[in-house]
Amino acid sequence: MAGTKGAHSVEDVLNSIFSATYLAAILRISTPLLLPSLAALISVKAGVINIGLEGMMLIAAFTGATIGGVLQNALIGALAGLLAAMLTALLLAFFHLSLRGDLILGGIAINILGSAATVAIGYQLSGARAIGLDVPPISLPELDLPFLRSVPLIGETLYTAIGRQNVLVWSALLSAFGVAFLFYRLPFGVHLRAVGENEQAAASVGIQVRRTRYIALLLSGLLAGIGGIYMSMGYLNSFSRDMTAGRGYIALVIPALGGYTPLGTLIAALLFGAFAALETRLGSFDVPSQLPQMIPYLATLIALTLYAWRRRQTAHPAS
Amino acid sequence: MRKQAWLIAVSVVAIALGLALLLSVHVLARGIRGAESFTQAVESASFGTVWAINTLIMLAMALFIAQVRREALRVLLTVTVALIIGGLILLILSPQSAAAAYNALLTGPLSRLNRWAAWIDDAISLTLVALAITLVFKAKLFSLGAEGQIFLGALASGLVALFVDGLPTALHVSLAVGAGALVGTLWGLIPAILRAYLGANELVATLMLNPIAALFYGFVLERIRLPQSGIIASAFFPETALLPRLIPATRVTTAILWALIAALAVWWLMQRTPFGYALRAMGANPAFARYGGIRLERVILGAMALSGLLSGLAGSYLALGIYQRLPLAVSAGLTFEAIVAALLARNNPLAVPAMALLYSYLRVGAPIMQNDAAVSLEIVRIIQALIILLFTAEGLLSLWQVRKVRTAWKTS
Repeated sequence: MAGTKGAHSVEDVLNSIFSATYLAAILRISTPLLLPSLAALISVKAGVINIGLEGMMLIAAFTGATIGGVLQNALIGALAGLLAAMLTALLLAFFHLSLRGDLILGGIAINILGSAATVAIGYQLSGARAIGLDVPPISLPELDLPFLRSVPLIGETLYTAIGRQNVLVWSALLSAFGVAFLFYRLPFGVHLRAVGENEQAAASVGIQVRRTRYIALLLSGLLAGIGGIYMSMGYLNSFSRDMTAGRGYIALVIPALGGYTPLGTLIAALLFGAFAALETRLGSFDVPSQLPQMIPYLATLIALTLYAWRRRQTAHPAS
Repeated sequence: MRKQAWLIAVSVVAIALGLALLLSVHVLARGIRGAESFTQAVESASFGTVWAINTLIMLAMALFIAQVRREALRVLLTVTVALIIGGLILLILSPQSAAAAYNALLTGPLSRLNRWAAWIDDAISLTLVALAITLVFKAKLFSLGAEGQIFLGALASGLVALFVDGLPTALHVSLAVGAGALVGTLWGLIPAILRAYLGANELVATLMLNPIAALFYGFVLERIRLPQSGIIASAFFPETALLPRLIPATRVTTAILWALIAALAVWWLMQRTPFGYALRAMGANPAFARYGGIRLERVILGAMALSGLLSGLAGSYLALGIYQRLPLAVSAGLTFEAIVAALLARNNPLAVPAMALLYSYLRVGAPIMQNDAAVSLEIVRIIQALIILLFTAEGLLSLWQVRKVRTAWKTS
């Protein structure tokens, strides 16, 4: 990888980076970040931060690819994956809201459970072979938009960038607007934010805190689940061990970068996707592979710092 | 009264010595089969050391029970229930091999000397990391930075071991260990500063610092690896940089003492110093602690720096004691495992070694189970998740009506 072909000029690098295929890659890479980020946003806004996103994504990815692959029916697989993720979210909600367990430790347990259960079940289903489950691959379809070609001047570019994206890419983008609609246009969204803002005040005006948080965590599980099935049935077409590779953790900070608004989260996720896509593009040039891989994490750290600094500037909280 | 306490202490030590003897014979002679296995065990050169270490294990268990009293029953109950649920899952997944799997999991680590040694080795690193977790969790700081600190601690120690020559053994080892601890501390200070002065969430910050540390480790390792070898790893360290071994043909080293001293030191720090008081006050109620004149910034910096030191030390131990070179993956999620140990010990430093031993036992049993019964070792991680869920769910207590029974017991 970091080989001898160091003869690329800066122009080559830039041309390769900023192209229609790069835009398409950004959308593809941003999707599995955007969906759990929205999931994190909902949970944070309701005051019950969902640390278990990674585990929920893995469980959805595994269930979707396995059931969808065995039945050769992408839709049933996807629905099964979403159901599995929501059941996992229900487990976390029950643990925290009904059994009064610590939310953060519960989330950590969900992540361990998701990572371990998917590997263990796959191992057992495949007859104790290390290579994992051998189900026929299955994917959710791409949405072909040929009419984009007829747009003057930028038609071809537009088609390459967004003309053949997976349906879940579009559903992710729509989800961002959906969450915005939920937060600012529906009574439930107002309740949800009120519960997160001040639990006692919300309870005093008759909002059912626990029920609202249950629904918030379930919605969060649903969105994480869509992110999970996208990983195994869109981004790739099979499940592999720990394939979400920390996206569930990164998703916990993207809303912070986006100022805890749905559309801000959308932009932040796209920005993150742009960094991550850059990493795969730089991979073909003479750069040690680890350095570009660090970019998203460094960016998150910087975003986190800037966000905390800005908050400190605007308000003066006690702690 | 005093005489009674003395008597209890003596009998505890006597029981510990006795149990340790049985355990040592079992490990060294591969099972106790009458008197000949005792003579076989005694003839072994390392009999005394093994016995001494087993006595320490027994005393750690006794200390745990003394520290947490009734909670010990709850720990036992939680682990048992988690094991039963794990067993049920196993029965569903592969009914024919479930019994063999559990047999291997529960007796495997004591079946051979090298497996027993692996248990001790694992418990040492787990104790160090769990103590690091205890320090921050006690102050309600959800810092998970140990993973990155382990990688960088191992890297610093490894670099000193490989590239500093001409030093006598004691100095070389000390320098390598010191470098690991120092780097761990510094890496731990980064999220501490962000949290203390900017209020940045330490959980997220540490989760981002971990992959950065691991990637940096990989970056350096790729440049110092042995080019002709198939696996990505550095050269083996020179003899002068290795930790002294206690038992030949195993990797049980003097690092046992580190774990022991670290547990006592963290306990002393928490219970006997002003800093420890501030740490516990912050964990109990940060607003109240601040109102009482405690400077939370200092507590955060201190707790997270010391936590980094212990994790860096764990990294040093893994590099200098276990791998004896820099491998591609120093730690695979040791932090999360250490959280379970710290949790079961209720963040009590004196109870940590026992829980680390308990948990390491499952960790070492897992690959034996996978090997002997063709059952995925991930089952053990499912059990781990179940332990966390069962143990921290306060509501389960009232479900089991434990409190009611207890109060009824007291009033009657």
